[in-house]
Amino acid sequence: MNPLLTALALTALAAGASALAALPFAVRDPLPVRWLGWANALAGGLMLGLAYALLLSGLRGPQAPLAAAALIGILFVGLTDRVSGSATDSGEPGAAYRELLGSSLHAAHEGVAIGAALAADWRFGAFTALAIAVHNVPESAELVAGLHARGARLAVAAGLAVVADANQVLFAVVTLALTTAWPALQPWAAGFAVGALTHLVLVELLPASYREAGRTSIALVTIAAMGAVTLLRNLVP
Amino acid sequence: MNGALTVFVAALLTAVATGLGALPFSFTRAVRPEAVAWANALASGLMLGASFGLVAAGSEIGTAATLAGAGLGVVFILVMDRWLRHYDVPFGRARGAGARRMLLMVAVMTAHSFSEGVAVGVSFGGGASLATAITLAIAVHNVPEGLAISAVLRPQGVTVLGCMLWSVVSSLPQPVMALPAFLFVEAFRPVLPWGLGFAAGAMVFMVLVELLPEAYGQTQPRVVALLVSLSLVGMVLLQQHL
Repeated sequence: MNPLLTALALTALAAGASALAALPFAVRDPLPVRWLGWANALAGGLMLGLAYALLLSGLRGPQAPLAAAALIGILFVGLTDRVSGSATDSGEPGAAYRELLGSSLHAAHEGVAIGAALAADWRFGAFTALAIAVHNVPESAELVAGLHARGARLAVAAGLAVVADANQVLFAVVTLALTTAWPALQPWAAGFAVGALTHLVLVELLPASYREAGRTSIALVTIAAMGAVTLLRNLVP
Repeated sequence: MNGALTVFVAALLTAVATGLGALPFSFTRAVRPEAVAWANALASGLMLGASFGLVAAGSEIGTAATLAGAGLGVVFILVMDRWLRHYDVPFGRARGAGARRMLLMVAVMTAHSFSEGVAVGVSFGGGASLATAITLAIAVHNVPEGLAISAVLRPQGVTVLGCMLWSVVSSLPQPVMALPAFLFVEAFRPVLPWGLGFAAGAMVFMVLVELLPEAYGQTQPRVVALLVSLSLVGMVLLQQHL
């Protein structure tokens, strides 16, 4: 299968998984705040595990561009966090739109991560896409909860979650195309994804999850998700 | 010099190097809540970066054993945290949450030194050049670990000398473990991924359950996140060049 089509199919699957975030609302509506905290911690742990896997893969290549790109990724997330507003502002009018914008911006880094992993090795790329798909479900739960609380129907909220994550498709395909055409860009893409994913967890997901569910359960969920990604990554040849 | 004595002296020097991490605190006594948060964030980044290196090293020998060791490290922190809460053990003049955090920090870093001592001892069985590289690497790597310990102790009122001594104490398992690991290298090699994983699990959990929530509570999450990310990247790069 054409690598770009593979990237397209995998990331479309990952973005589509975001709709599943509406399912828990069928059981409990509204969702307990603690559940949202655990969902954030699960998403954060998966991202940290992926950042570690990408870092290990990137360290096999030149390290200067990897480090420089990680710094760019950190700064980029810092800037986008200021633009979209953090979860601490969620009570303000218009916060739902900022959450939607924020989710859409997050999806860009995740798309770069999938594209960078696919460029390194298609099995690693498929693993990354699958991990991002799983991570999209709890990550989108916060967005769906915010939109649903403001009166959006669950189906609409789920659809908007998929639209917000559609950036993953675009950025994965573009990253794969660019790094295939110019392999020297591979460490830049991997480094950017590592810096952005790590910083996103630290600046948004963890602070929000601590507020929602306390520290011990959040620490346990986060470290369990990191361990699961590390273990499963090792099973992929 | 006798081989066993060489191993012991080399590992002792790596332990002493940990004390150098307290030196930057000679110039500042970080007591403002923001400064405590920055220190906790710095320690978090350094510990996460060190843990990434430990898991990578352990996974080269055995991923399952490394992750099982990490699980034991998490259980160790949970049990120790509950025990310290139950008995309200003081640390110097500090009591309560501050004392608990300092004790956990010293305990975690001491526990993690056991596996580093084993690494030094095992490396001496692999030839002089490997031994020199590993010893030097662990000595330099210990300096930011001393910095991480001092970053938690100093804002609680511990003197710079006290920070240096606790940092060195946290690394004393290195010479203690290096010697038997060198003498019985084949027996210790299979245990190494468990030890590396245990250290990583304990450090990451300590960061997630204590240091990060404290730091987020004391200053803006954006500042904390930036400091953690930058020190994490710095620590990973430092380890790559050792």
